[in-house]
Amino acid sequence: MLTVSTVSHYPKIGDSLEEQLLRRTYAQFDRKEVDLAHVERTKDEVTRQVIQEQIDAGVELITDGQIRWNDAITYIAGKMKGFELTGLLRYFDTNTFYRQPICKAELTSPESLLVKDFQFANAISSVPVKAVLTGPFTIARLSQDKHYKDFEVFALKLAAILGEEVKRLAQVGATVFHFDDPALLWFKKEKAVFKKIWTKLASYFPENIETILFLNFGDLKGIYPEIQDLPFTTLGLDLATETENWEVLESTPCTKKLLAGIVDARNTKMETEEELQGKLEKLLAIVSPENLSVSPSHGLEFLPRASAKKKLANLAKVVREFREAKVKT
Amino acid sequence: MNVPILPTTSVGSFPKPDYLKKARLQLSRGEIKEKKLRELEERATKDWIHFQEEIGIDILVDGEMYRGDMVTYFAETLKGFEISGLVRSYGNRYYRKPVVVDEVKRAKPMTIEWFQFAQRLTKKPVKGMLTGPYTIMDWSFNEYYGSRRDLTLALAGVIHEEAVDLEKAGAQYIQIDEPAVSVRPEELPLAVEAMGVVTKGLKAKTLTHICYGDFEKIYPGMLDIPVDQIDLELSNSSFNLLELFKKHPFTKEIGLGVVDVHSHVLETKAQVVDRIEKALEVFRPEQIYVDPDCGLKTREVQEAKDKLRVIVEATKEVRKGLVSAGSVGGKL
Ligand SMILES: [Zn+2]
Repeated sequence: MLTVSTVSHYPKIGDSLEEQLLRRTYAQFDRKEVDLAHVERTKDEVTRQVIQEQIDAGVELITDGQIRWNDAITYIAGKMKGFELTGLLRYFDTNTFYRQPICKAELTSPESLLVKDFQFANAISSVPVKAVLTGPFTIARLSQDKHYKDFEVFALKLAAILGEEVKRLAQVGATVFHFDDPALLWFKKEKAVFKKIWTKLASYFPENIETILFLNFGDLKGIYPEIQDLPFTTLGLDLATETENWEVLESTPCTKKLLAGIVDARNTKMETEEELQGKLEKLLAIVSPENLSVSPSHGLEFLPRASAKKKLANLAKVVREFREAKVKT
Repeated sequence: MNVPILPTTSVGSFPKPDYLKKARLQLSRGEIKEKKLRELEERATKDWIHFQEEIGIDILVDGEMYRGDMVTYFAETLKGFEISGLVRSYGNRYYRKPVVVDEVKRAKPMTIEWFQFAQRLTKKPVKGMLTGPYTIMDWSFNEYYGSRRDLTLALAGVIHEEAVDLEKAGAQYIQIDEPAVSVRPEELPLAVEAMGVVTKGLKAKTLTHICYGDFEKIYPGMLDIPVDQIDLELSNSSFNLLELFKKHPFTKEIGLGVVDVHSHVLETKAQVVDRIEKALEVFRPEQIYVDPDCGLKTREVQEAKDKLRVIVEATKEVRKGLVSAGSVGGKL
């Protein structure tokens, strides 16, 4: 009950020489001092580091840190056939960027997008690993479609490809699927299309898997409670920077499991223990402890690594003490 | 202010020459003293001032030879800031972000000495260059103030002090850059309020530069920003914005970005003439200042110089056309 988890990405480098391994290796690759195989081995090595760092911090359900991902869009879209990657665009309201994919031909993914990555992480982790995917609506909204010439057809095609990927991942042992699909909160008027896309996506879901729909970069006003009608098991949202989400959640009973992003992943200011305890109390008035897990509000790559590490350890400590206190009383 | 019609100018930064880049690295490794770096920064500033005079730019900038990053420079100089560990922006590019850890205060003037240094080198006006409070807030971590608004307004106070000092030092143009304004349309009112604090009571001409535009989302609201002129990157958006301005008139002066700062490709004179002429279909000639899309610091020195030259030559040609067509009085 009441578990601690991470979402999406983790800082790829830190300030120590050892933590700068990946940055150095890319620079060496640019200077043609090392080959691509060496870069790939380094990504494995850094993935190993950040998995251990999450576990050491006390996280109970981790991600692979998306060390191989340049951004939320291009890693996954770049592996599909039919997309061409173009110029840099800002990712939501962050100071990070992604290469916009342009769909120029029928989309397919003859090979798996993420199976190898998942297997690698799952094999070395001593705690469960989530499979993290960017949602079909967000990939579609942040891309350009010059082939299907119809947003819905385009997004449904992406839903089918991602659905197939879920099946492949489930076959190699993934049981928890985390979908980052935040673009809905920037395009709330399109919630009907979103529903169609997610219904399609879910038609591929095997039984007995947990599916998290994680929505950040905005609040759920006008989206909740209807969003609960969609076929996923766990609703994830930002309860650190989006203060309005508290009112939204308290307005109508929550019928899904909840993944509450209560740690601000976009600011270095440390949460106090009292603040986090207060949020846990409030959350337990909304869902039962069995149905609650907590996490940062976003992937942690917006923070320096030292700060990310500290925030995770702080969250895990508060949750541990909170659980112990609850068991006693 | 003694400038011709369609004054030419720059957005702020110019590329640092190789000897200066090397010296900055050497200073960070403790291989040279600060005095040596300062000498080289002065030499580079002089070179850029002379170059701008030589090719006939009307309103000069010092080129920001002494600044690293437009926000970090101010954060390092103000009280209340620290600098964070590395965060990634894209690919293998990382930067250190300012962190507000205490009340923000101006310990000493931040840009005045350099403004005076540059202005002494030329009779033409040199712009005072500041980064706006909203952008400094948006690009920093905030561990001290209770809200984004509180931090923004605190920063507005210190940037205002700096602007007042620039005016006292003789700046006729004060530019307060707010590139971050286009990112969160819902916070535009905050940026407007903060700019009101910065420009309050100033007699100098005030302007702001905005970029990374999804300008559609903040137009016409951005016309409420209390400055005389808004400088925009127009060539990067293929001048699509002009359609927007046809629908809803642009009520301020416009800084017209006519060359792409992200591209190695040098625009031809004819291309730039065409861009200015397109703008003249939407703006009165008196409204227009001509410049590059953004700071040129990411270009090579020679590329930056070539782009500036094309701007001046194209503008001169358009001016001639205007005068012979009788649409403006003679001052060339
Ligand atoms: Zn700019």
